[in-house]
Formats: sequence, C-alpha cells, structure tokens
Amino acid sequence: MNRKTFLLGTLASLGVAFAAPALSQSTPRTVDQKVTISYYNYNLASAGNGADATKRLIAQFEAANPNIKVDGVGAAPNDLTARVQADIAANRVPDVVQMVFSDLDFSVTNLGAVALESFVPPDELAAHFDGISPNGRKLGVIDGKTYGLAYTFSTPVLFYNADIFKAAGLDPDKPPKTWAEVKAAALAITKKTKADGLLTGIFGPSAGDWLFQGVVRSNNGGVMSADRRKLVFAEPAAVEAVAMLRDLYDSGAYTNLDVTAAMETMAAGKAGMYLQTSAVQGFLVKGATGKFDLRASTMPRFGDKPQRPNNSGSALVILSRDPLKRRAAWELMKFMTSKEAYTVITRDIGYLPLRTDIVNDPQYLGDWVKKHPLLQPNLEQLAILEPWESFPGPNYRQIQKMMMDGAEQAVFGGGDPAKAMKQAQDSAQALMPK
Amino acid sequence: MSDLAMTASVPPPRRRHLLPWLYLAPAILTLGLWIYWPLIDAFRLSFYEWNMLPTAEPKFVGWQNYENIFALQKFWQSLNNTVIYVVGLWPLAVLLPLAIAIYTHDLPRRSRNVYRAIIFVPLIIAPVVAAAVWRWLLDPRYGLVNEGIGTLGYRAVRFLQDPKIAIWTIIVLTGWKLIGFSTLILSAANANINPSLIEAARMDGATRWAVIRDVRLPLLRSTVLFLTLMTILLGAQWSFSYIQVLTGGGPLGATTNIFYILWDFGFSSLSVGWSSAAAVILFLGFGLLAFILFRLIDRYSFHDN
Repeated sequence: MNRKTFLLGTLASLGVAFAAPALSQSTPRTVDQKVTISYYNYNLASAGNGADATKRLIAQFEAANPNIKVDGVGAAPNDLTARVQADIAANRVPDVVQMVFSDLDFSVTNLGAVALESFVPPDELAAHFDGISPNGRKLGVIDGKTYGLAYTFSTPVLFYNADIFKAAGLDPDKPPKTWAEVKAAALAITKKTKADGLLTGIFGPSAGDWLFQGVVRSNNGGVMSADRRKLVFAEPAAVEAVAMLRDLYDSGAYTNLDVTAAMETMAAGKAGMYLQTSAVQGFLVKGATGKFDLRASTMPRFGDKPQRPNNSGSALVILSRDPLKRRAAWELMKFMTSKEAYTVITRDIGYLPLRTDIVNDPQYLGDWVKKHPLLQPNLEQLAILEPWESFPGPNYRQIQKMMMDGAEQAVFGGGDPAKAMKQAQDSAQALMPK
Repeated sequence: MSDLAMTASVPPPRRRHLLPWLYLAPAILTLGLWIYWPLIDAFRLSFYEWNMLPTAEPKFVGWQNYENIFALQKFWQSLNNTVIYVVGLWPLAVLLPLAIAIYTHDLPRRSRNVYRAIIFVPLIIAPVVAAAVWRWLLDPRYGLVNEGIGTLGYRAVRFLQDPKIAIWTIIVLTGWKLIGFSTLILSAANANINPSLIEAARMDGATRWAVIRDVRLPLLRSTVLFLTLMTILLGAQWSFSYIQVLTGGGPLGATTNIFYILWDFGFSSLSVGWSSAAAVILFLGFGLLAFILFRLIDRYSFHDN
C-alpha cells in the first residue's frame, strides 16, 4: 500500500465515521440482498468444544438467513480488543464482536459500539428482550443504553472434590458457605490428606479482575466510585477482603498456582476446593468422570454479609456502520442470544443461559439440567448477579493491571496489604480520565 | 546494461552528479520510509495519547506518557531484572559456548559434527513449543524434572512459581537455546584461526593449554566481545517468548524485564503514546549502551591480519 491509498483510506474511514449517525436513521427492517458480515469470537480461537459449538451456531444461522454470510474471526480473549482496534485502524470495521465485559466501556467510547436502541425499532427490541434475565441484560447497559447483550457469561463457582472432603472428615453435603468455613475446611484437608486445600483463579496474567471484584464486593467494598471517577480499591472494606485472602495464603489453606496449573490440579483430583468461573466446568467434568465426585457450591461470602457475585465473560456488541450490515449484524445477535443458541452455549460450552426459562423447558435444557446438577449454583447466583465493572478511559487496561499487581503483592508478596493497595490506587488514579 | 553505462557517461557534469543519487534513491527511500520516518514519528507520538483509531483524535499530553512509565513501580523492578538477565545469560551465551567450541575443535571430524549438532538442535525448535514442553517438564507435581528430584528424596522445586527461582529458570531456558547459536559462531571463528600460528607455537614446545591461552583466546577476542555485546543488548529480549508463555512476567513481577513490561503496558492495549514513549526510552538507553560497547570493542579487539 502506498502513502496515497493509505491517506485516502484514512479519509474514507473518517468520512464514514461522520456519516454514520445520519445513516443510522435508515436501518432496513429486513435483509433483502446478499451481505457478508464479520463475527469476532474468542471461542473460535479455543481448542475443543467452544470452537465446534460456535461454528455449528454460525452454520445454523447461515442456513436460516440465506442472504447473510458470516465470516468468523477467532482471537484469544486477551488479544481480541487489540485485534478489533487494529482492524478498525486499518479501516476494516468488524460487524459483531464478542467483547469481554471489562472492555465494554472502551468499546463504547472508543470503538464506536452502537446502542441497540438507536437503530432497532422499540417493538422489535422489546419482543427480543422478553424472557431475558433482567440481571443478565443489565450487564450490557452503560448510561441507560444497551450496547451489548450478554453472550458467554458465568459466575464464580466453588468447585469441590467430595471424595477429598470425606477423607478429611468433612461433610460433602454441607459445603462451606463463608470464607471462615472455607479456611477451616481447607486446613482440615491439608492436614488429613495430601491434597491442596483451596485453589482459585483470582490472580494470574490471564485472570483479569472479575473474580477479584466479586470478592471485594462481597465485603461491601468496590473498585470505583459510583460516578466512575475515583478509584476506591484501597478503602478499608476492599483492604479487608484482600487481607482475608492474605490470611488464607499465610495459613497454608490457599495454594497459589497459576491459572492453568490450578485448573489441571483440580481436574486431576488433587485439590479440595477451587473457586473459578463455571466456564471451566467442562474441563473439570472430563477429568473427574469415573475418578472422583466433583460437586459445586456458590461463591463464599463474608460472615453474614450478603454474597455479591459478579459475572465473567463477554457480551455481543455491534460495530457495523453500514445500515444493511448493521441490520444483518442485529439478526446474528438475535440468533446468538435466542433460546436455541443458549441451549448450545450452556450445554456444550458451559456458560449461563441468559434466558432462564429454557432451564426447565424440556424442549431446551430441561432434561440436561436434571442430569447435570453442577449448573445449579451458577443459576442460583444469576438471580443476584452484579455487573463486572469496566474502568473508564483510554488507560483502562493499565489501571486494571495496576490494581491486580497491587492485590497480588498484598496477598502473596508479604508486605502490608493496606500499603500495597494504597500505592496501587494512587498510581492508578493518575491514569483515570480527569 | 552497457547501453545504460554509455549514455550515463555522455551527459554534462551537472547531471552526472545526480546519477549516483538516482541509483541510491531506492535504498534511501526504503530506509527513510521504514526506519527513519517511524523512528522520528515515534518521538512525536510519545507526547500524545492515542489508540490508533481513526475515530479518536490524538491528544497532546506533553511528558505525561514518560511520567506514567517512570512512575510505574514495576518499571524499576523490571530494570533491575534486566540486569540480572544479562548477567545470568552471559556465562551461557559466551563462556560455555567458548569452552565447547575449543574443546570440540580437536575432536575427530565425525564425532565433532554429531556433538555440535546436538548442541545446535535447541536453536531450531520454535520458542513457544519449547516453552510449552518445558512447562510440563518443570511442573511442581507431575513434571519429569520434579519426579527425578522427588526420587532423590528432595522436596519438589517450584521452578516457575517461586519468585526467587523463576527468573533463573527463564535464564537457563533462554541460555539453553542460545548455546547452539554462540557455539556455531565461536566454532567458525576458531576454525578460521591460521593453523600455522598453532603449529609454530607447538614447535616452540607450547602445551595444549598454553596454545589455548596464548594463541586461541586472544584471536577469539573480537568474537567474544561481539557475543557479549549481543547478550547485553538483546539478551533480555530473547527471553520474551518464555516469559510470555511460562510466567507472564510473574510471580509478583519476578520474571518481567524491561521489554516485557513495556510491551505489556503499551502494546497489549495499542496505546501508541505509552508504546512510543517506551520505545524512545529503550532506544536512547540501549543506544547509549551500544555506543559505549562499540568503543570498547574497537579498543580491545585484536586482529590476526
């Protein structure tokens, strides 16, 4: 590409950006001509089940909508936003993107994510929203507008090995519900068996901050003020939650393993408890089948404070600027958040159904759920789910990294938790939008 | 071709001055477009906040990006680690290969080739594949290495999980791959030494060790200095893929180095300002280092002919 076409391309993309608001008025109600849309999806980049199920869903959609062709583009969850960003910079705007929740704010303010209310007729939107779990729908709402529909999302689940519980003299029918009980159970396990007491997916390079946010929130702490301007993860409630994790680690109840190793250790039946997204369920079940009794409970709470889990996962977001493509993208989004699609997503990949009524409907998940009780804690938590907050501004990723670095230092690094969190908060606050 | 040469000799003096430039133009333009323009633009962009999107306007922020980087606590930790990487890699990238090159030189031809091939193999294994295999080998519970340590009656070593050990694990893995490359270069340099010098030394009654100490090592000095330079300038960079696959810079930032952290904070979110400021810092820092090292090499190199 020479300079001239590069400049022209840039100009053209600027032109499109300016013209977009005007065009959005005239989004057609149906797709009556051939159109190809791109679909950026991280399950496509995964090995195994997630990719197969997603390909099957795309094929089903194309069969039902002969005018629309879908180009699936796979990228790992950590790289997906950078990939989308690079493609927009190169003027290849993706149409539908499976956006990780922590990047949702960024995709609205910087990537041009389109609010569904701005181009879908209200009656059609209301019809599609009917049956969607209100807590699930809230996850994709920023400033009162729906920018994303929760797609593959889950809650933190405490998986436990019932055989190890029995060996340690614990009652597997009464899993620990509070952090204090978790500590006692983990210590009993490390004392009486050779297994690890507790593993988690809270920390690690690929862990993000969703699970950490849930732990902090359960102690009535938070990461950010309500007006999204001030960071508050060094306030006493948050520090107390961090200190609790530190105490778990210091007492030997909590073993620090990296994300992959923790998953493999649990699947190999060598750990008592494992707090992680329900999305790893498929992997754990594969390891446990015929070898040990894998069970699941809800995320632990702090004493008698209410448990406040937040979600992990992703929402589908539309970035198309062309009205026809936007319509086609909406059709794809509707299909991917339909009862049929959610049956596949829940059953074959291991996420939560955004439409809870399919759980008891024998036409969809009814029989499957009866055979797979592991989904229960996940469903219980959907009713009390709170959104995973995404940091604002262009430095949102750096802020998240600083917070997690500070927390990791506080839990495993041996220093004073309050000081580590304060230091992280002070440096991160400088990166918040002013 | 000869036609061109003939017409070129005819034109008046003024045009003759232009001709060399015309021949050089493609090279100059390519260099300018791909090397110097981006370099200068990086300096400019390091003062902006921008994420490369056509929809977003680059925002001038002055020295903010530099301040952000220098304020990062991890930046200083990683600078410290970078020094450890270089110091730790030097024996593996220079000393050991030097010994291997000299030792294998005197072996019979066939066994020498087999020996060197074995040393060279790690170099041609893709780093990411090698890293994945090492992860399994070094696993604290099921890894082959720890099984071995276990049978000897010792406790399992947390090679990649213990903040005190992890950086040395990464250094050894990086070095394991580098040995082949350095051995190859040093063997070639060693084979290039004029045999008559060695012969003359032997006739004078020099022992094997004396030949190595007084003839081979001085003649290998410029190659050793070159490899040292490479290790200092690039050593920490070579470990990038191992850090990325095995530790992600952790535990507690123990294995992160200057290249990794700048990539992590800048490129992973396409913040052009952060990345450019990071690139400028690296460019100036390592530029200065390279300048000093090149001066040293000129001073201490010894050439045979």
